Amino acid sequence: MKEGLRLSMAWLHTWSGLLVGWVLFMVFACGTASYYRDEITLWMTPEMHQASLAPVDQDVAATAAQRALEQRGAGGSRWFVTMPTERDPAVRVGWVPKPNKGQGQGQAKAKGRRQFGSAAVDPATGEELGKARETRGGDFFFRLHFDLHYMPVFWGRWIVGVCAMFMLVAILSGIVTHKRIFKDFFTFRPGKGQRSWLDAHNASAVLALPYHLMITYTGLVTLMFMYLPAGLNAVYPEKADAFYADLNGGPARDAKPSGTPVALTPLAPLVAQAREKWNGAPVGRMVISLPGDANAQILMTRQESQGLSSQQPSITFDGVTGRLLSEANKDSGAMQTRGVMYGLHIGRFAGPMLRGLFFLSALAGCAMVATGVLLWAVKERPKHLKARLNSNSGGVGFGLRLVDGLNLGGIAGLMLAMAVFFWANRLVPVGLAGRPELEIQCFFTAWAIAAVAGLAWPVRWMWRVQLVIGGLLFALLPVLNPLTGGAGLATSVAQGKWAIAGFDLVSLAFGAMLLWAAKRLGKVKLAKAPKPQLDKLDKIDEVAA
Amino acid sequence: MTPFLKTMLLIAALASAAGGFTALSLAMSRHWEGVHGRGSAPASRLLPRLRLLGIGGLLLSLCVCLFNWGSAQGWVAWAGVLTAAALGHALTLTYAARAVMRIGYGAAGLTFISLLAAILA
Amino acid sequence: MAKAVARVPLKYRLDVAVRALAAVGGAYAVTTLAVTALALTLPGRDVDVVLASTLTGLAVFPLATMWSFAARSALRAWAGLMIAAAVCGGVIALQRALGGAA
Repeated sequence: MKEGLRLSMAWLHTWSGLLVGWVLFMVFACGTASYYRDEITLWMTPEMHQASLAPVDQDVAATAAQRALEQRGAGGSRWFVTMPTERDPAVRVGWVPKPNKGQGQGQAKAKGRRQFGSAAVDPATGEELGKARETRGGDFFFRLHFDLHYMPVFWGRWIVGVCAMFMLVAILSGIVTHKRIFKDFFTFRPGKGQRSWLDAHNASAVLALPYHLMITYTGLVTLMFMYLPAGLNAVYPEKADAFYADLNGGPARDAKPSGTPVALTPLAPLVAQAREKWNGAPVGRMVISLPGDANAQILMTRQESQGLSSQQPSITFDGVTGRLLSEANKDSGAMQTRGVMYGLHIGRFAGPMLRGLFFLSALAGCAMVATGVLLWAVKERPKHLKARLNSNSGGVGFGLRLVDGLNLGGIAGLMLAMAVFFWANRLVPVGLAGRPELEIQCFFTAWAIAAVAGLAWPVRWMWRVQLVIGGLLFALLPVLNPLTGGAGLATSVAQGKWAIAGFDLVSLAFGAMLLWAAKRLGKVKLAKAPKPQLDKLDKIDEVAA
Repeated sequence: MTPFLKTMLLIAALASAAGGFTALSLAMSRHWEGVHGRGSAPASRLLPRLRLLGIGGLLLSLCVCLFNWGSAQGWVAWAGVLTAAALGHALTLTYAARAVMRIGYGAAGLTFISLLAAILA
Repeated sequence: MAKAVARVPLKYRLDVAVRALAAVGGAYAVTTLAVTALALTLPGRDVDVVLASTLTGLAVFPLATMWSFAARSALRAWAGLMIAAAVCGGVIALQRALGGAA
């Protein structure tokens, strides 16, 4: 029975992985990049490279934010403040602008990106930071990994959700089918064809297995009410809003304005008060509803750096008097569990070292998916060679050819496209209308070309071509950087701007890795003529099953 | 916690995990042979000691992680540390098999030094 | 498994198709029923009950999928799922009846 289970799970593992492998590779690659999305955005806005944002006390930052909002967001119905963190040293403010005369409530509520105003502020001086070029930055990869693109968000999330469930099935079935999971723990035998690919797949999968299980399951958790609304519908039939209100708590939403203009109380002392309640932990975000009105309220939420949960304690103050209205910090077990799961996936709590470890495990995840789909092709090929011998027909079967092409375009092509995205960021003229979308179009165009080329010529030299192009594009980013207005490695290292330097260094390393891979592909000897090895092919059939 | 202290503790966590994995892998005949040559085998008394040492190294790594990152984040960090150490060790066994013993002792030494530095800091 | 490039027998293809349907459609149905059953049965606040049942459901789904392929025959796969569905359905009916009476 055990053998039957292993075999059936092996079959399930292969197909649940293969059918969605290329989507999963993109999800993993973009998710991996998302760990550093703020830093990527910084690199992609070279105008900000000169800004030297010294860390300041939170009350100074709060005052700067308030001043900026009173200038830019005056009359707005809701203000947002994101306090500086080590990832993002600027104060980010946002506001929902006052509806124009004649606009109905409905129109004002339509919060498209154009309606919502935002700015980055130097926390020390209160000056708005210089206008940087319009770009989606790292957020493009973040959104891509669950919203996809060129389709309504609903479809993108469903597709990714289905793929994620396939991934979870692949992981679990992979665990069941893997014989000798401990004996083979450290086994890696390079240069042995199929066996090496299997070893690489096993190593990247098993050695980071807790991470893979966690990230896949928690990924599904982030959108679980979309995928499995049954529980919600059973307990809150037709009143999902009530559920979300219970879940998120917070102050009375959509409080009505009184119409009486009253100045907003200074934020800085309230920040100090909140921090005292949290034993000194910093404020992360503030939402100020109806600023400048008598019914104003201020919601302050603690910064995510303590514990694992994305749910952080919050305090609500009266916006005029500064009186403490309510505190929300006692979450039930279920809410804490969900908060931890959400928090684990987002990973905002992680300091630099922990984030680096997450990044490493995520890279292992990318390797796991890539080696998986490549392994399938490697295993399939001898069967096709043998059939070719027997029937004298040319070429490999359609399925294998398709997989070969998808592997090429999906792996090498995607990495090439990511490099093109960064090149587009520096080469597309600033101030051009629709600039962010243009950068994104460059990404998809490059990917499409690579994919078509890969499907047309799914052979070794095409791999080398795409790996070389991708490798060069990545490796030359540190050169492109200072030539197009950014802070080059010499400057960024000297000034201790590790975010910018880190991007350059990682790009260089990644490019070098791709070039090395291309070089290795050139060295590997092509398979010998199959005829004398006919009996060996028979054995491969048995081993592969 | 100063950055220096956190760095020392990270090094200690990684080094103790690496040492632990070294010991555990040497308790497997395939890897012992890979390091010491085909046909060799450890003395029978050595095997349980190697396993104990290995698990001890991993547990020490866990303690350091819990101390450095707290009782919640510490477990997450430990998983990451184990991944990094295991990947590193697997590559070492493949590409630098003869250096494994030296690296193992080096990891133990590094653990000791970094913990000492952390305590003194 | 038959040799990859030899003609695959129809019976095998049918078996896989039936199991695949079970693994996707059947598993989703069972999961939905299980989540509903849990949501109606678990004690505690409404918010917590919804969270707990949905979180569990996400784990039930892959297990149901794996069952669809681990079962000794496609028929058994469906039978197992239907039994699970019936049990959950029974719990739901019971809870609804009790809830209605209260």
